[in-house]
Amino acid sequence: MLTAPPAVTHSSSPAAVACQGLSSGYRGKRVLEGITFEIREPAIYVVLGPNGAGKTTLFRTMAGVLRPQSGSVSIAGQSVDEQATKDRLHFLSHIDGLPDGLRVEETLRLYGSVEGADEADVERVLRLLEIEPLRERFVSELSAGQKKRVAIARIFLHEREVYLLDEPTANLDPKVASEIRDLILRLSRDRVVLYSSHNLFEAREIGTYVLALKSGKLSLFSRIADLRSTRYVVGVRAAIGEQHLPVANKKGDYYLFELPGPDDVAGLIQELEGKGVRLREVKEMGNPLEDLFAA
Amino acid sequence: MTLVTLRRGALAGRFYLAIGVIVSLILTVALLRTARGTAEFVAVFPLEIPLFASLGSMGGLMLFVGDRSKGVLEYFISYGVRPRTLFVNCLLVTMALTTIVLGGSLAVGLGGYLGAGNPLSTDLENSLLGYTIPMAYASALFASIGGIIWSALSTPRMGLNTPVGLAPILGVAPPVVVLIVAEGVDKAAYYEVTLGATLAFLALVVLLLVASSRLMDRERYLSSM
Repeated sequence: MLTAPPAVTHSSSPAAVACQGLSSGYRGKRVLEGITFEIREPAIYVVLGPNGAGKTTLFRTMAGVLRPQSGSVSIAGQSVDEQATKDRLHFLSHIDGLPDGLRVEETLRLYGSVEGADEADVERVLRLLEIEPLRERFVSELSAGQKKRVAIARIFLHEREVYLLDEPTANLDPKVASEIRDLILRLSRDRVVLYSSHNLFEAREIGTYVLALKSGKLSLFSRIADLRSTRYVVGVRAAIGEQHLPVANKKGDYYLFELPGPDDVAGLIQELEGKGVRLREVKEMGNPLEDLFAA
Repeated sequence: MTLVTLRRGALAGRFYLAIGVIVSLILTVALLRTARGTAEFVAVFPLEIPLFASLGSMGGLMLFVGDRSKGVLEYFISYGVRPRTLFVNCLLVTMALTTIVLGGSLAVGLGGYLGAGNPLSTDLENSLLGYTIPMAYASALFASIGGIIWSALSTPRMGLNTPVGLAPILGVAPPVVVLIVAEGVDKAAYYEVTLGATLAFLALVVLLLVASSRLMDRERYLSSM
């Protein structure tokens, strides 16, 4: 069984989230195959994988929306099919899940009535997500980004132990996406957040752990900080002596150098300075999470 | 079913509801003005109403299809709402919308008929209770259940060639057939035709309901987006 590396594995308390031999899919077609892992530590667990790898199917099955074909999902030791577990998790689908024919405020009230939140909670999330000016607007009139904010507001109506967020920042502009990530980061201090994204830089920025899916199987469960890229690439910007840098390896403003590892950066700087290059900036260009897609 | 769900259903199918109510009322008023004697009104009025009750109640089906494609149904399921409850809620919306069309037409038609000094005959009472009211609900439910199952089992597509686009025909066709057949038969056969059609159609709706519990498994409620 894959367990988050620093988890308190000897704890007698049940895992916050546990999948055991989980296989799932649609109409007899298997999408997920033998997924097994346990999560005990509050953090953001980024679920990565190419299109069709099974991310949405995993989230749907963990949320109890889709029944497993075999295996099990449990939240705090209880099967996800039990009604009690419904009060322990929030599921944000990759589609907004916003009903037609309601205004923003009415939509949140409807969600609140399902989730046991009251009027004060609705007012709080309207302020938190900065959607107060939209409260009288019909959801159907909103832009894709505004709809996403209303959909996300739902998960802040009522606190839960586990959050399943399927591409929560898709369609958001960078500023709002960053604000949402900050809110989710705050949540993850004492909550388990599973977060799927296609944005590898976002995943690296926000995630503590990564679960990689490949062809419906869990190919990796690791702390992101422990991942090492197979290619270590640094980008260099020069103030003086740019003519000594390799034009063929230029990407944007950066000249790229492939190195064996981070320990070799100092040597590269020394070598370039020896050639008369005065450096303005040196930064790591590769993202080890890219390898999870390329593998 | 909550008032919010009913309102959303009415909003989703507002054009069908408006057409159902308005055309039904126009035909009722026209019949009141042109019917040559009470016998013609008693024969035709009960046959007309189910046509528009079925058409006006498409909001239930449209609510289900819209909520399914937008992921609203899977949201509710994730919070512990049973899929069957969501299905039944849409049928309740269908019945509520049917009641609006049916109620309006019956109120205007019967009000005008009785207000003109005509008595509520046993024939008219039997037709309304034995055909008009049950057939209106049965044809509306038939169209909704058929449309829901069809849309859930088929690949989503746009335009009129879809379950939502074609479901009104499912609902309107049976009362049209009964209207054509019943108007061409004598009085004794009229009641046999209408009552027989009602019973056959109610049985069909019950069969569809039973089939839906087998066909509409949990994943049929999920968006295919």
